Amino acid sequence: MSALTLTPAPTPIAGDAPVRPWTFYVLALFFAAYVLFLYGPMLCMYVLSFQGEQGALSFPMRGASLHWFHQLWEGRSADIAGAVARSIPLALAVMVITVVVSVAAGLGFRRRVRGSSVLFYAVIVSLTAPGYILGIGTGLMFSLFGWQTSWYTSALGSHLSWTLPFGVLITFAVFGRFDSAFEEAARDLGANSAQTLRLVVLPILAPGIIAIALFGFTLSYDEFARTLQTTGPNNTVPIEIWSMTQNVTSPTIYALGTVTTAISFLCIGAAIVAVAVIQRRRRAPAIS
Amino acid sequence: MFIDNPSSLSPAAAAPTRPVANGGIVLAGLTKRFGDGMVAVDNIDLRIEPGTYCCLLGPSGCGKTTMLRMIAGHETPSEGAILIDGSNVIGRSPRERGTAMMFQNYALFPHLSVRDNVAFALRVRGVGRQERLREADRVIEQVQLSALANRLPGQLSGGQQQRVALARAIIMRPAVLLLDEPLSALDEFLRLQMRGELRSMQRELGITFVHVTHTQLEAIAVADQVVVMDKGRIAQSAPPREIYAQPRTEYVAAFIGGQNVLHGQVTGVTGSSVTLSGAQGACYLLPHDGTPLATGQTVSFAVRRDRMNVTGEHEALALAPNTLRGRVRELEYQGIYMKVSLATDDPAAPGCVVYVEESRFFKDPVSVGQRVRCHWAADAAHGLAAA
Amino acid sequence: MRPQYKSWLQLAPLTLVLLLFVAAPLVFVVIVSFFRSDGFDTIPAFSFENYAAVLGSGLTLSLYLKMIKYALMTWAASLVVGFFVAYFLVFHVRNRSIAIGLFLLCTVPFWTSNVIRMISWMPVLAEQGVINSTLLKLGLIDAPLRILLFSDFSVVLAYVHLFTIFMIVPIFNSMSRIDRKLFEAARDAGAGRFKTLWMVVLPLTQSGIVMGSIFVITLVMGDFYVVKVMSGGGSASVVSAMYDNVSTLLFPPAAASAVILLLILTVLIAILTRFVDVRQELVQRS
Repeated sequence: MSALTLTPAPTPIAGDAPVRPWTFYVLALFFAAYVLFLYGPMLCMYVLSFQGEQGALSFPMRGASLHWFHQLWEGRSADIAGAVARSIPLALAVMVITVVVSVAAGLGFRRRVRGSSVLFYAVIVSLTAPGYILGIGTGLMFSLFGWQTSWYTSALGSHLSWTLPFGVLITFAVFGRFDSAFEEAARDLGANSAQTLRLVVLPILAPGIIAIALFGFTLSYDEFARTLQTTGPNNTVPIEIWSMTQNVTSPTIYALGTVTTAISFLCIGAAIVAVAVIQRRRRAPAIS
Repeated sequence: MFIDNPSSLSPAAAAPTRPVANGGIVLAGLTKRFGDGMVAVDNIDLRIEPGTYCCLLGPSGCGKTTMLRMIAGHETPSEGAILIDGSNVIGRSPRERGTAMMFQNYALFPHLSVRDNVAFALRVRGVGRQERLREADRVIEQVQLSALANRLPGQLSGGQQQRVALARAIIMRPAVLLLDEPLSALDEFLRLQMRGELRSMQRELGITFVHVTHTQLEAIAVADQVVVMDKGRIAQSAPPREIYAQPRTEYVAAFIGGQNVLHGQVTGVTGSSVTLSGAQGACYLLPHDGTPLATGQTVSFAVRRDRMNVTGEHEALALAPNTLRGRVRELEYQGIYMKVSLATDDPAAPGCVVYVEESRFFKDPVSVGQRVRCHWAADAAHGLAAA
Repeated sequence: MRPQYKSWLQLAPLTLVLLLFVAAPLVFVVIVSFFRSDGFDTIPAFSFENYAAVLGSGLTLSLYLKMIKYALMTWAASLVVGFFVAYFLVFHVRNRSIAIGLFLLCTVPFWTSNVIRMISWMPVLAEQGVINSTLLKLGLIDAPLRILLFSDFSVVLAYVHLFTIFMIVPIFNSMSRIDRKLFEAARDAGAGRFKTLWMVVLPLTQSGIVMGSIFVITLVMGDFYVVKVMSGGGSASVVSAMYDNVSTLLFPPAAASAVILLLILTVLIAILTRFVDVRQELVQRS
C-alpha cells in the first residue's frame, strides 16, 4: 500500500468532546419539562379565572367572563380588597426595614467580631425552623405578656424573621464581591464615613439592595405560616386565601390567584428593570 | 503642603506656592504587631528625602505593604513615629497628612466616570460642581486621558486605569504619593512602559513617591532610593547602584539577583585583602574593608555574575585563587548575554551563575555538560555582612 | 477597639429582630410546653404530662412516620430534579446571561404565594382535570385516574413543586464554583462523561446538596397546610396536629409537640452540617 492511501477518519474515543453532546438535548428537554411543571398549573389557573358564569372549578370552560373577578372584588367569598389594602402597606414596611437591617448586618458581618458566628447560626435557625412554630411562639409570647397581636408589631416581626435571613444571605453574596479597597480609597481621598456610605458603598451595592427589597416585599406579601398566629383580628391576603381553600366552591379563588400573582409579577418586573437599567448604565459606551 | 481651601482653585491660583520641604519622610522606631502576635514591621528607622522616588522592595510578607499603609494612615502603628515634613502624623486622617495612595488594583469607583472619579476628592470637600469638574479636567489632561474622561472604569485598559488612579490621587496635590504595587496588574510590556511614565510623572510633580514592589529590576529602574526589606526589617537602604553593586548582606545579594554568593573560612588577613579557603580546596581573595576577622571565621561574599569569566577546563592548569571548577548545567540565552549555570561536583560546594556577554560567548562557546572553570578578579568580590 | 464597636452596632438591628421574633418565641414554646391545660385555660406549671402524652401517643408516631416518608420521597425527587436542572444551567448553557435568565425563570414562581401554587394543581389533577381529560382523549386510559388528586402522590407532587427551588439554588451555587478546567483534566485522563460526573462533579457539589437537603427536609417536616389541602382534608401532619390543638386553645400539648419536632430537626441538621461548612458555603468571598 502506498503512503498516499487515505487513512480512515479517527473514531472519537471516550473523552473527546463533541460540539453539543447528546446529553445537552436530554437535559434541555428535562429542563423544559421542569419549567412546564412549574408554570403549567398556574397557567391553568389563570385561564380558569376567566371561567364563564356557569362554570365550575375545573375544565371545560363554559364561556369566558370577568364574573369571578367581580365576585372577588365585591368581597362575597372573602374580604379580599381589605386584605390587599392591609397586606401591601405591611409588605412595604417589611421591605424597607429588611433592606436597612440586612445591609447594616452585611456590613457588620464583614469583620469577624465575637458573636458573629452565633448570630449567623441564628439566621440559619430562623430560616429552617418551621414557620408555624415560630408563629405559635410569637402568639404565645404576646398573649402571656398580655399584649394584643397586631399588624405592625407581631405580624411585622414575624415577617421580618422570614425576610431577614434571605436579605442577609443576599448581602453575603453581594458583599463577598465588594472590595473593601473602595472604602479605603474613598477615605484616602478625604471622605468621612457618611460620605463613603452614600457616594461609594450604596451605589455600588444598588443591584443587591434592589434584590433584597424584592425579596422583602414579595416574601412578606406571600407569607403565610408565621403570620397565621400573629396578625391579630385582621387577615393578610394569603390567610384570606387559606380560609377560602377551606371551602373551595367557586372559581373566585382562581381569580384571586390571578390577581395576586399579577401583583407579584409587577413587582418582580419593576425590580428586574431597575437592575437592568443600572447595569446598562455601568457598561454604557462613551458618550463623548 | 496641599490645597486646604478649595475655593482658591481659580486659574490664578492654579500653581500653588509649595514649601521648600516637599514630602520628606522620617520613620522612627516604627513597629506594627498584629493580634496573633505576628510582627509585620519591626522597629524601623528610615529617612526618605523630599522630592525623591523611594522603592520598598521585598518578597511577600516582608512588611513593605504594611509600612506603606501606616504612612498612608490606613493602618495604625503599634509603636513609633511617622514624620512627614517634620511633624508626626500618627492619628491624623490620610487627607490631613498630605498623602495620597494609589491602590494595588486601583480601586476606581466602578459606578463613576473617569471625570467623577478624579473629582471625588473635591466633591467630598464640598467644592462646587463647575469648579471641581474643571479642576478634574486639568489633571486628566496632565495624564493624557482627556479623550476618555466620560468613560467608566470598566471600559478602560489596565494602563488607562492606572493613569486615572494616578490623576485621582494627585488632584489634591499631596506631598507624598504612595503606590501599592502599581504595576503588578499589568502585563509585561505595559509594565515596562508605565514605569517610565511613573518616573517622569514624579519628576514633573516634584513630590515624594513611595512605591512598593517585589520586582527587583523595577525597583532599581525607577528609584532614587531602594529599601530592601526582610521579615519586617530593613536589610539595606541605598541608591540602586549601591544595592546592585555592593549588597550589604547575603539576603540582599540573593534577592537583588545578579550576584553569586559564596562562602569561605578565613585563613589569613593582610592590610588590603583577606584570604579564604572554600569548598573543594578553592582559595578566595577578597578586598579587606577593615572589619576585624578571626582565623577560621566563616565569611560570605558576593561576586557579580557579569564579572566572572568562564573558560573550558584544562586539567594541566593549576588552580589559581578566585577560581571555581565545575560542569555546565544549563545555558539560557538572554539576548544581551548568555546565562551559564555551573554546578560543582561536590553538592556541598556552591554552583554559580555567570552572565557571559553574548558575542564573547559565541566566539568561544561552552556546552552543557562540559567541564569548565570560572574565574574572577579579586576586586570583583565584595564582602557581605551577616545580617 | 472602635471598629469592633462599629460592627456590633451594625449587627444590632438584626440581633434585636432575631431575639424578639425567633429566640424569644422559641423560648416561650419551650416554657409553655411544661404548662398544664384543662381544656380551656392554660395553667402555668412545670409538668411533663404534655411530653408524656405526645410521646406516648401512637398517633404521634404514625404522623412522624408519615411525614418522614413524605420528606424522603420529596428529598429524593427534588434532589434528582434539582441536580440536573442546575447541571444543565451551569454546564450546558453557554451564554451566561441566558443562564441567569433561565435561573430567574425557575425562581419567579417562588414569589407567588405557596397557597395559590398549591391550589392551582386542583384543576390539573382533578378527575375532570387537564391530565385526566388529555389522557382520556388520547385513549391511554379508560377511566379517570383517581390517585392523581387527594393522595400521597398529590402531596409529594405539591412538595416537589414548591420546594425544589430550595435544592436548585445551593446546588447551582456549588456548581458555579467548579473550575471548568477540571472537566478538561478529567477528559485528559480518559474519564468518560458519567465517570466525570460521579468522581468530579458530585463530590464538589456535596455542600450544595447538603444545604438543599436541609432546606427541603425542614420545610416538609414543618408543613401543615400542604398535606391537609392536597390530601383532601383527611390527612394530618405533625404540624397540622399542632394546628388543631391551637385551634382548640390546647397550647401546652401543641408546644410540647413543637419542642419535640424542633429537637429532631436540630439533631438532623447537626448531623448534616458535619458534611458541610455552612458559613463558608453561604458566605461567598471572591
